[in-house]
Amino acid sequence: MTDPNPTEQAAVQAPAKQNSAAPFIAIAAWIVPGLGHLLLRRWARAIVFFIAAGGLAITGYLLRGNVFPPRSGDAFGTLGFLADAGSGVFYVLARFIETAGADVSRAAGDYGTRFIAAAGVVNSISVCDAYEIASRRRN
Amino acid sequence: MRSAPLPLSHFQALLIFAFLSSLALACLTDRTPVERLKYAARSFALFVIIAVGIAWAMFPLSH
Repeated sequence: MTDPNPTEQAAVQAPAKQNSAAPFIAIAAWIVPGLGHLLLRRWARAIVFFIAAGGLAITGYLLRGNVFPPRSGDAFGTLGFLADAGSGVFYVLARFIETAGADVSRAAGDYGTRFIAAAGVVNSISVCDAYEIASRRRN
Repeated sequence: MRSAPLPLSHFQALLIFAFLSSLALACLTDRTPVERLKYAARSFALFVIIAVGIAWAMFPLSH
């Protein structure tokens, strides 16, 4: 039996060096979808996450979906706010794009609500991904 | 009452949702770019096929 490669052995034994910038990268990724990956020089992922989260959010606003406010007063509204706020800057853009307000009396408005929530969830996943890459838990 | 500025049919909305969600999901996988594209295509197809299947399964309930 041969000895394992010393470099590989050291890589296995030594804990991965933590990147102290990881929390800041996660915050940047939350504020602007894809920015975390951009800072990590993952260009393709940055572009895809920006297009996916931004596209879902803007389509949702154009369909006049419901944007949950921070203080809604019930658990479902709070859950909706958390999902919507996950899209970062696109949550703030809602008041400029969706000037006519929500209209969930039609199916399109109801779909829009789901699009907006999905944008937040997609960006939340991208934040976790950026954080894991920054903290060297994955490639 | 003002209508939505983006008039989409249900199916068009489904296509946009499936496309953007599939892109994001494929990007999360640790695979080669070609494999990611295949993953995105398969995910998109499954989104559409399952949604249309559920819609047809619910059709008798509305009639």
